[in-house]
Amino acid sequence: MTTMISIRSLKKHFFIHDGFLSRNTKTVKAVDGVSLDIDHGEILGLVGESGCGKTTLGRMSINLIEPTSGEVFFDRVNILKLDKQSLNKLRPKMQIIFQDPFSSLNPRFTVERIIGEAMMVHGLADKSNLRSKITEIMQKVGLPNSFMNRYPHEFSGGQRQRIGIARALSLSPRYLVCDEPVSALDVSIQAQIINLLQELQEKENITILFISHDLNVVKHLSHRTAVMYLGQIVETAPTEILNKDAAHPYTRALLAAKPSTNPKKTNNHVSLSGDVPSPLNPPSGCHFHTRCPEAMDRCKTEKPTTLELAKEHTVKCHLYN
Amino acid sequence: MPTTTPLLQIENLTTSFQTNDSAVQAVRGVSLHVNHAEILAIVGESGCGKSVTALSILRLIPIPPGRFESGEIKFNNQDLLNLSEADMQKVRGNDISMIFQEPMTSLNPIFTIGDQIGEAIIQHQNTTKGETRKQTLELLYKVSIASPEIRIDQYPHELSGGMKQRVMIAIAIACRPSLLIADEPTTALDVTIQAQILNLLSSLKQESEMSILLITHNLGIVAQFADRVTVMYSGKIVEEASVDSLFESPMHPYTRGLLNSLPKEDNKSKLESIPGSVPHPAYLPQGCAFHPRCKDAMPRCQKQPPLSNLKKESTHKVACWLYEECVKEVR
Repeated sequence: MTTMISIRSLKKHFFIHDGFLSRNTKTVKAVDGVSLDIDHGEILGLVGESGCGKTTLGRMSINLIEPTSGEVFFDRVNILKLDKQSLNKLRPKMQIIFQDPFSSLNPRFTVERIIGEAMMVHGLADKSNLRSKITEIMQKVGLPNSFMNRYPHEFSGGQRQRIGIARALSLSPRYLVCDEPVSALDVSIQAQIINLLQELQEKENITILFISHDLNVVKHLSHRTAVMYLGQIVETAPTEILNKDAAHPYTRALLAAKPSTNPKKTNNHVSLSGDVPSPLNPPSGCHFHTRCPEAMDRCKTEKPTTLELAKEHTVKCHLYN
Repeated sequence: MPTTTPLLQIENLTTSFQTNDSAVQAVRGVSLHVNHAEILAIVGESGCGKSVTALSILRLIPIPPGRFESGEIKFNNQDLLNLSEADMQKVRGNDISMIFQEPMTSLNPIFTIGDQIGEAIIQHQNTTKGETRKQTLELLYKVSIASPEIRIDQYPHELSGGMKQRVMIAIAIACRPSLLIADEPTTALDVTIQAQILNLLSSLKQESEMSILLITHNLGIVAQFADRVTVMYSGKIVEEASVDSLFESPMHPYTRGLLNSLPKEDNKSKLESIPGSVPHPAYLPQGCAFHPRCKDAMPRCQKQPPLSNLKKESTHKVACWLYEECVKEVR
């Protein structure tokens, strides 16, 4: 398999001013040196708690947020170095589905316009065949044709998310960022959308970066999983291996914290103490050492490097040195 | 059936809201009970009436547009729906208290943590300032907030989401209530924090023998923390059982659908989803509200099935015509 997306030491730092006239600035290192590869036709799950930088990373991977430093290659093209024109030409190939289907659709546009607008802008359809193309895409995501002239407020959350997916698919993308696409939906609807994404991915062989905080969903859907903590990727592994033999203490804690739906199987409550530290002032050394049950002295001072445990299984932890 | 009277008994509660055109029933004839020192979970999807049921217990529904059409809510043998507002105020926060979903928005940003916890204590107990502060510190310690002496004088924006929810819990347990209503207490929190909060709630329950009414849409939380569970759909209870019984042998097609639509432990095959979506409460289908989405629907389903016991001796109740035969035998 060949690499579709290749991210190299990507960083995004946000600067926060202390006060209106103050010269003090603080830095939030939202994403701090992330390198990641996604293969053609692969679903990579990206998990982590809120504020760990997973959304920022996802958006940078399609150049929606400009990184502070680093490189992003889309099919061997560095998309951060492209001029505006060539970037716009590439845009249809990379699309995003947003978390909140209630705020990501323009309430004053009809479904037809929401789905069709991008195709018109990119010249993928003209007035004569726009309607038939929209019909085709709506069928693909399971929306009846009669919805075409209706407005977003008339739909339920699941239907709106389908509209969002239709909009992303209208440009036949090859890389799709799904930013928590099901976390705002009810369980029964969630399953419908997961099935839809899985079907579409199999049929069209789209490469997907699936961002979520729900480990069950990521486990079900993704081929490989990356775990993020405070702006850094602490572990990546094929999903099956990650769930069986998680190496990083943080991954293990995440897996243990997720409540099992089997009442007989009580969780081995090794829940983490404390909160995620503020990204304004992350701990020294390994960012996780303040909450880590296995922290050693060197974790407080020395930053761990990324180690390869097995094929495709990398971890950032001093335990494995 | 336990011989002792339950702590809370709701009989045939119907809560409706007046809209421009008609009255919409959010809760339609719900009966349930919570025993002493028990965690009862109400599960259901958004809009199924689980929060309205909880708010009805504390009479926190704005009237109008809300209205209690029928039913009674018996708590310690007094009907809460017939109490005067002044008497009701004595129950709220004292005998029954509530934790809300959003810890970020349910604390007042312009008062310190100490003030807000102290308010609950002063409201219901005649304590002096010093005593209140002492009790507040004890409460903060009890909900495992690190360095309570500093936190007590801080404002909500200085705390993280998990700590705010701990403060909410401290306010709720300030007067040692016998019933705690937790409305999606961990939905806004991360998994590792969620585990902390749920562990805290269950240890508090064990210590003080209070009952908890846990409202959630997360079946994992139900499986791990509740004793009994009721499943709601479109304002009605469709199934009620002990947690073990429900997860082992779910009866109602809706409950089965919910459990099947969860990603499995070791199965990558397609998820079984429930087709369609939840009906709008103003346009409910006739009879069983679930029948348009149900794969076992039959002509009978045009009529509302009653919630009945499946077997003698058993407490597993279901409202579905599929089990009519079993139900008849019981009678």
